[in-house]
Amino acid sequence: MQINYKHQLNDLIKLRLKIIRPLLFLTIVPYFCFIGVIAFKPEMFSPFIFDTNISLGIFLGLVLILLIFIITVIYVYLANKFIEPQISVIRGNE
Amino acid sequence: MNKLILSILLFSNLSLASDGNGENNDISIIMFVLFVSVTLLITYWASKRSSTVDGFYTAGGNITGLQNGLAISGDFMSAASFLGISGLVYLTGFDGLIYSIGFLIGWPIILLLIAEPLRNLGKYSFADVVSFRLNQRPIRILAACGSLSTVILYLIAQMVGAGKLIEILFGLPYYSAVMIVGGLMILYVTFGGMLATTWVQIIKAILLLFGATVIALLVLFQFNFDLNLFFNEATSIHKKGITILSPGGLISDPISAVSLGLALMFGTAGLPHILMRFFTVPNAMQARKSVAYATGFIGYFYLLTFIIGFGAIILISNNPAYLDTSNTLIGGNNMAAIHLADAVGGEILLGFISAVAFATILAVVSGLTLAGASAISHDLYANAYLKGKQSEKNEMFISKLATILLGGLTIYLGIIFQNQNVAFMVGLAFAIAASANFPLLLLSIYWKKLTTKGAVIGGSLGLFSAITFVVLGPVVWVDILGNASPIFPYKYPALFSMTITFTTIWVFSSFDKSENGYNEIKKFDSQYFRSQTGIGIDAKTTH
Repeated sequence: MQINYKHQLNDLIKLRLKIIRPLLFLTIVPYFCFIGVIAFKPEMFSPFIFDTNISLGIFLGLVLILLIFIITVIYVYLANKFIEPQISVIRGNE
Repeated sequence: MNKLILSILLFSNLSLASDGNGENNDISIIMFVLFVSVTLLITYWASKRSSTVDGFYTAGGNITGLQNGLAISGDFMSAASFLGISGLVYLTGFDGLIYSIGFLIGWPIILLLIAEPLRNLGKYSFADVVSFRLNQRPIRILAACGSLSTVILYLIAQMVGAGKLIEILFGLPYYSAVMIVGGLMILYVTFGGMLATTWVQIIKAILLLFGATVIALLVLFQFNFDLNLFFNEATSIHKKGITILSPGGLISDPISAVSLGLALMFGTAGLPHILMRFFTVPNAMQARKSVAYATGFIGYFYLLTFIIGFGAIILISNNPAYLDTSNTLIGGNNMAAIHLADAVGGEILLGFISAVAFATILAVVSGLTLAGASAISHDLYANAYLKGKQSEKNEMFISKLATILLGGLTIYLGIIFQNQNVAFMVGLAFAIAASANFPLLLLSIYWKKLTTKGAVIGGSLGLFSAITFVVLGPVVWVDILGNASPIFPYKYPALFSMTITFTTIWVFSSFDKSENGYNEIKKFDSQYFRSQTGIGIDAKTTH
């Protein structure tokens, strides 16, 4: 690795972190909150939402499945849009 | 997870044949023979393209993101998770969802942290990545031990479950079922390598998604797609009533909750047969896409199993045709999805779903065997034993030999574990993956100061402690070995074993002042450059 594109690599890593960190947070925190409620206060998940027969736990569980998928889609979108061009620049310089 | 496989095991207690099973068998056998014929043709086609080591392990690296996404989801949607999770939902309602989410949560972790560096650094196995800048021999041996323990535990659980399931669905004796599965698996992998295994996996994933979608749609159709009515009906029929909509004590104490959560979250990122799939795509961009596709398919599949489980509560739990004398489901709770297929779609759907379940088992064990074979031939033989000096032809021969040996071993273990409780094995596989394979992979990619010494000591302790804690814990020590009380009090060891791994790796790497350690740290920057950019990926790796 040459010194002259070391700063480009640093930019790439910074960009990656900027994208990955919030998404990682969005993955880990809701999941452990979900598990936490089940372990500590399971009754919190019992009430029905709105006027339905669907419990809060089932609703949030299904939302979590959706969220997990959305996180992967967001990452692919952001990575293709922002990370790939930066890698191409570095590749071009090499 | 443990419960799922346990209930598959309970199948054995069942005397076969319910009413009308003879005709069902005909349809499912026709469909199964069709599946086997098509996959054998694919194997023949693939065999001409798998004559190189690269072709054998990575399908030439030309699988697209969508294809790989389907194949990954195929690897992950095993018969145990299809029948087991829908059975668990049938039995407990909400608690089934906890497992579904647990199995899904590992995917963003793989995507955000592992997939791209793995693709950029590795060639055939995740040990390529861990040993990239570390001392080949000890690291390869350690990684191969981690891979093989995970793969063999998984294989035993799948094989025993498969034998019991096929015994019920097709009326085949347990031994023949195990032999057929083992024999076909050896054929696919030995001759067709990764290319055939991938296509078997893709076809099976499509069939399974299609079959599960049809069942779910037919169920919801009966309720005019009104979820309100659907859940209302389920709670009024289920004997636990409204409590099936909230947590029911699957996880009770906080330590078990966190420990299980960690094992599921990080275990997926340490499963060798899943990690291996990332070498079949041409670059990091396709690797990334394949995870998003896979997550979509798997997430959708879990939604379906949830509907199927609740559908079974409504439509079959009160139907005498599906119950035995003691008022439980014929074949056990894991048969919920199978009976439901019959209830909503008649014999044709039942036959189709049975054939798909068989196909699923075949595809999953093939993927596992291929991953195990790569650990033996690529890591242990070619790199640890011969130090990378072997000829290509020789490695190919050892790969096929390893496949046949592993296949034989699996059949043998399937038979000796027939009447054993293997329920804990998938859980243990996940614990090992999370406590040994994943930390090694993660730290080798991201932590500059990792040295061979730290990796070997920490990784071995992680592997050893995960196994020890499970053996001394409630599941093996008390339930299987019959001791009065467990030496290690928790069912899930990951919280403790992962802590041991990370701490010892950190301590022994930090205090490693050897010249080797210094040189390994010096190589980190160029490895990091390659892992982040993929530059150098096409050049032959020289260690």
